[in-house]
Amino acid sequence: MGRRLHHWLPLLVPTLVFVVLLGSWEWAVAQGWLRRLLFPPPTKLFASAVELARDGVPLGKTLLDHLLITIARIFGGFAAAVALAIPLGLVIGASPFLDRMMAPIVGFCRSVATLSLLPLALVWFGIGEASKIFLIGYGCFWVMLSNVIAAMRLVDPVLLRAARTMDTKPLRTFTHVVLPAALPRIAAGARIALGVGFMVIVGAEMIGTTMGLGALIMEARTFYRTDVTMVGMVTIGLLGLAISLSLSQLERRLMPWMPAHSGAGP
Amino acid sequence: MTGAVDRHAGTIGVVAFVLIWELAARLVWRDPGVLPAPTQALAEAWTVLTWDVLLGHVGISLFRILAGFSIAAVLGMALGLACGWFRGLSLALRPLVELLRPIPPLAWIPIAIVWFGLGEPSKIFVIALGAFFPIFTNAYRGITMVSPVLFRAARTMDVDGLRLLWRVAVPAAMPDMATGLRVGFGLSFGILVAAELIAAERGMGHLIMEARQLGHLGVSIFGILLIGVVSMLADHQLGAAIRRTVGRWARV
Amino acid sequence: MRDVPSQGQAFVADARPGVPAIDIQGVGKTFATDPVGTAPVLGSIDLSIRDNEFVVLLGRSGCGKTTLLNIVAGLEAPTSGQVLVAGRPVTGPGGGKGMVFQQNALFPWLTARANVMFAAENRGLGRGEATLLASDLLRLVGLEGVDAKYPAELSGGMQQRVAIARALALDPAILLMDEPFGALDEITRNEMQDELLRVWQARQKTVLFVTHSIWEALMLADRVVVLASRPGRIVLEQEISALRPRSRSSLPLVALHEAIWEALRER
Ligand SMILES: Nc1ncnc2c1ncn2[C@@H]1O[C@H](COP(=O)(O)OP(=O)(O)O)[C@@H](O)[C@H]1O
Ligand SMILES: [Mg+2]
Repeated sequence: MGRRLHHWLPLLVPTLVFVVLLGSWEWAVAQGWLRRLLFPPPTKLFASAVELARDGVPLGKTLLDHLLITIARIFGGFAAAVALAIPLGLVIGASPFLDRMMAPIVGFCRSVATLSLLPLALVWFGIGEASKIFLIGYGCFWVMLSNVIAAMRLVDPVLLRAARTMDTKPLRTFTHVVLPAALPRIAAGARIALGVGFMVIVGAEMIGTTMGLGALIMEARTFYRTDVTMVGMVTIGLLGLAISLSLSQLERRLMPWMPAHSGAGP
Repeated sequence: MTGAVDRHAGTIGVVAFVLIWELAARLVWRDPGVLPAPTQALAEAWTVLTWDVLLGHVGISLFRILAGFSIAAVLGMALGLACGWFRGLSLALRPLVELLRPIPPLAWIPIAIVWFGLGEPSKIFVIALGAFFPIFTNAYRGITMVSPVLFRAARTMDVDGLRLLWRVAVPAAMPDMATGLRVGFGLSFGILVAAELIAAERGMGHLIMEARQLGHLGVSIFGILLIGVVSMLADHQLGAAIRRTVGRWARV
Repeated sequence: MRDVPSQGQAFVADARPGVPAIDIQGVGKTFATDPVGTAPVLGSIDLSIRDNEFVVLLGRSGCGKTTLLNIVAGLEAPTSGQVLVAGRPVTGPGGGKGMVFQQNALFPWLTARANVMFAAENRGLGRGEATLLASDLLRLVGLEGVDAKYPAELSGGMQQRVAIARALALDPAILLMDEPFGALDEITRNEMQDELLRVWQARQKTVLFVTHSIWEALMLADRVVVLASRPGRIVLEQEISALRPRSRSSLPLVALHEAIWEALRER
């Protein structure tokens, strides 16, 4: 009995807390202690989610439309950044001199707040898709680049020595020793970069578009639809969670030798 | 000779970067309205901005960051440590935190405006929210990962209860907390700009946005670089403070 | 017995009578980072090792054992002097010199068998051959049923067994071992010493083995070479003729232990 309870507790308590929280929220609104406009109650949120998914408010685009656009933008920027950063990082990371030469630039460009580039993006790429993908790409790129470089620099030297004592050819050393040794950190970099992408997308979509979850979240406010904003927030949170979980799965597949990863979200 | 080149590799990189930018802007693009050269951006900022105005923007931005970050630091560390120490609290609170974590901080901006209005509190709220999660998680992880040997050693010396928390668990969790603080601090800069782009009359983010609308792209670029420099300097200060304290006995 | 490629295909030319397997000639080493005025890490080491001889380098931590071994391996260049292997100067690693490191140097992303195959494939064996060789070698070092396990799933002793199998897969004429059992508990360590001797007797090799354990040296060596530090120099060379397996309670070995202990304590 005691053991069974112990087993269920980690599931039971959070569920209970969650139910109590939602319940008292609903109740407090019904009692008029919380203002409906500021704190739309859970039942209202559910209704709005259904409405949003079926008809689309406030502008007739459904939740799925917004979701797909956002996914396309994130992946566009992320993929471009990764495709550029990996080869570049491998080259820079392979040479201590290049690494030291690039370190201040990479460090600084990482420090630049990605969304501060928004005005530049608007001038260079207009208010269309290109500027959003540029912003996401920029944020992902420098994070990815610094992680790929670090991954190369942190390859355990004893593995390289072992490879040398086994007469390993340079190309084989690169493909069969350096790359797999660097892979875990590269994957970690991709995970962090995707997190940055999620952060940037919302900002990027807040200006010059009515499509995408970020736009939905922002637009809803001008229509006094806090409920729609909240549904949008939950949706993008779930999207982040789903991507994070599938990334963990992918990492497991790619790196079966690594101990299991705890799937923290981006 | 080679030794000197090697030692100054970083400087060479930066100089090369600035030179390439300068030459590309002056010889290839030749349109300061699209890509101002670094010197052109500086000159434009020099004519458009006064020191008072500039310091005002930087000051208000730093105030927002410090306010938001401090709230996040206090709440994040306190709750993270408490969750790590009291199992019951962790059961109740952590699932909530994990539910909210995947929501990007910027997505809270509209809600923050509805709840707190367009003034300072909404910006501080969003910054605090963004910085909270890494600080919380690292404090929690830090205290749950403390080696049990330390606790056993303390018990043999009759240290118990809250004293065990305060004298053993919290110090042992400090390296992780330091990491969380640093990550959270970095995040708060990114969030600040977004918050200021959307609704503000002052601040570095606002400066950048306004300059573009007035056609001063050089000033925008100046502002972008300024945020980068300020954020780098601030991070450097925090890093140095951490190395001076926790760094004396742990690798951080 | 499967058709395992053996000595004939070793990289190093077959032993020529009269030519030492390893000839260390006046090897000295100073690191560029050493402050001026300090004694060199290695003074001037002369040491000649016969074919199939088992030589143990013994000395306290920091006396330059690893440095000397790395120079023999070709992983580091000496500041003065040279090393000849089968009469030819060493210019780089590989070329029939297998090495086992003190730390776990297995590739963590490869299974035990794949780690051994990596070495086998490097000398031109096809996949099929490499697989067979790897399985045979793993069995030779006393590992059964772990072929598909990753290094992280193996105990420290098992990891070093895989490392030995991997070095053997090169079919090297020379085996260089840098405190390979340093991280193991004494019981496992004694077992591993027996295993190593068994493997060495099955596959005749020239072994240069580094340790800081006097008993380990006494149990394994044909000849113990004692190093002292700064400058790293040979202070004692001791042939051990006792038949293997040796016992720690044999009086001649106890006497040798005493003599070596004296040599190590001097300075
Ligand atoms: N790469 C290096 N650069 C500078 N000094 C080194 C380096 N490698 C080893 N040393 C120094 O050389 C000495 C001998 O080191 P090592 O050969 O590793 O000793 P051992 O293996 O006998 O413990 C030590 O004092 C060590 O600090
Ligand atoms: Mg050593």
